[in-house]
Amino acid sequence: MTVIEVTELRKAYHGTPAVDGVSFTVEQGETFGVVGHNGAGKTTTVECLIGLRRPDSGTVRVLGMEPARQRRALAQRVGAQLQESELPARLKVAEALRLYAAFYREPDDWRAVLQRWGLGPIRGKSFGDLSGGQKQRLQLALALVGRPELVVLDELTTGLDPVARRETWALIGGLKAAGTTAVLVTHYMEEAEALCDRVAVFARGRIAAVGTPRELAERTGTGSLEQAYLALVESAMREEAR
Amino acid sequence: MKAFAHLTATELRLLSRDPGALFFMIAFPLMLLVLNSGNDRVEIFLPSYMAMILAIGGISVLPGIVATYRERKVLRRLAVTPVAPVALLAAQFAAQVVMGVAGSAIVVGVGVFGYDVEPPAHPLPLLLAYALCSAMVCAIGFVVAALAPRARTAELFGLLIMFPMIFLGGAAIPREGLPEELRRMGEYLPLTHAVTGLRDGWFGTPAAMPFLVLAGVTVVCTAAAAALFRWE
Ligand SMILES: Nc1ncnc2c1ncn2[C@@H]1O[C@H](COP(=O)(O)OP(=O)(O)OP(=O)(O)O)[C@@H](O)[C@H]1O
Ligand SMILES: [Mg+2]
Repeated sequence: MTVIEVTELRKAYHGTPAVDGVSFTVEQGETFGVVGHNGAGKTTTVECLIGLRRPDSGTVRVLGMEPARQRRALAQRVGAQLQESELPARLKVAEALRLYAAFYREPDDWRAVLQRWGLGPIRGKSFGDLSGGQKQRLQLALALVGRPELVVLDELTTGLDPVARRETWALIGGLKAAGTTAVLVTHYMEEAEALCDRVAVFARGRIAAVGTPRELAERTGTGSLEQAYLALVESAMREEAR
Repeated sequence: MKAFAHLTATELRLLSRDPGALFFMIAFPLMLLVLNSGNDRVEIFLPSYMAMILAIGGISVLPGIVATYRERKVLRRLAVTPVAPVALLAAQFAAQVVMGVAGSAIVVGVGVFGYDVEPPAHPLPLLLAYALCSAMVCAIGFVVAALAPRARTAELFGLLIMFPMIFLGGAAIPREGLPEELRRMGEYLPLTHAVTGLRDGWFGTPAAMPFLVLAGVTVVCTAAAAALFRWE
């Protein structure tokens, strides 16, 4: 079953295109990676998937719904972590999880989520007093507390230390084993290689290539996803310079 | 409904952790009452302080909180949950009402039981004036939050509107003592009518005028806030 279907998506800000004709599909249970240079249009694209932005043209279907029109109905089944968002500074970690759990029809046990994401020791801390990585971890836990069918995580491990990053990979691996579909935006090729079934390389508002990490490496004649990424983005940049 | 109850409880808890809100909505009015307790007519201060507490909360505390939620993308995060971000604004309003009632109950309790003020002569009109005043100040607060570009400006605008209102409107100090020009200026402020309505309910003769003004300002400000509010 196809969970996400994006066709010829376009979105411009003040006349400058940010996403310029993007098409892809994501199947149920798949972990789909989105990588690309700063300003490539990754956040704009995934925000169209969760209904935060309305496409200028093209179609977006997620779980059979149109996100821009059915944002709240969709939110019941989709967990999201935004690249930039905060919680009230005086809200405590455990309170945030309990509050967000109350938003969903069939939430996970928020206490279990608290433990799973290693937030137990800081459960009584205010959001404003958390370190960057702790905030990030809480945002991930909040994205998952509603037991979503699909998760959309924008830069899920940015700001996490190497140990926390690997712990997060293990937790995402667990989601995958449970059949959850995931869209992961990341700047870490190692992460995309470890977690993603397929990866889309974004460059200048378009998808330069999409495929399994191995396919991308083979297609570009390079040895790894990292090398393939560099080759694809650099050639897109050269085109722009011309 | 469950989500809204949780949101409201959370907003109330956050408000009770805000030292500024606690001081100005609970301790400060009580302090003023004690300072004025030697006055022959302590009863005139109670309706005023109720209006003052509500105005501080609705016009100066609320816009800062709401604009911060917008600036820090708290509203945006909520937009990708099954709860509409407007529910957070409603929860903030409900929390302000509860906080205002708490502050008012303390001041009124001390006035009635501590300083032997006669209980209100017309409780129902008093209650109505109180409810309308509460709705009106929050509606004004939402207009401020809608117009201010940033959280800091929302806080500043809130203070700039709230202070003249409570001083010229007879909420912080009785208007009887104001010079003639300032007293006349006060007539154009909506909070003045709230104080009048509350006083009438406590020890005067309730009239229709204050209710109409409060209801009118509430409707206009709510419509303006709804039309002008930016979610991000
Ligand atoms: N709200 C906005 N207003 C104007 N321009 C915007 C806005 N959001 C994004 N842009 C522009 O659109 C382009 C794509 O931005 P987007 O955030 O989608 O990139 P990204 O791939 O997520 O980048 P990063 O890796 O830095 O997060 C950028 O050039 C950016 O400046
Ligand atoms: Mg981004």
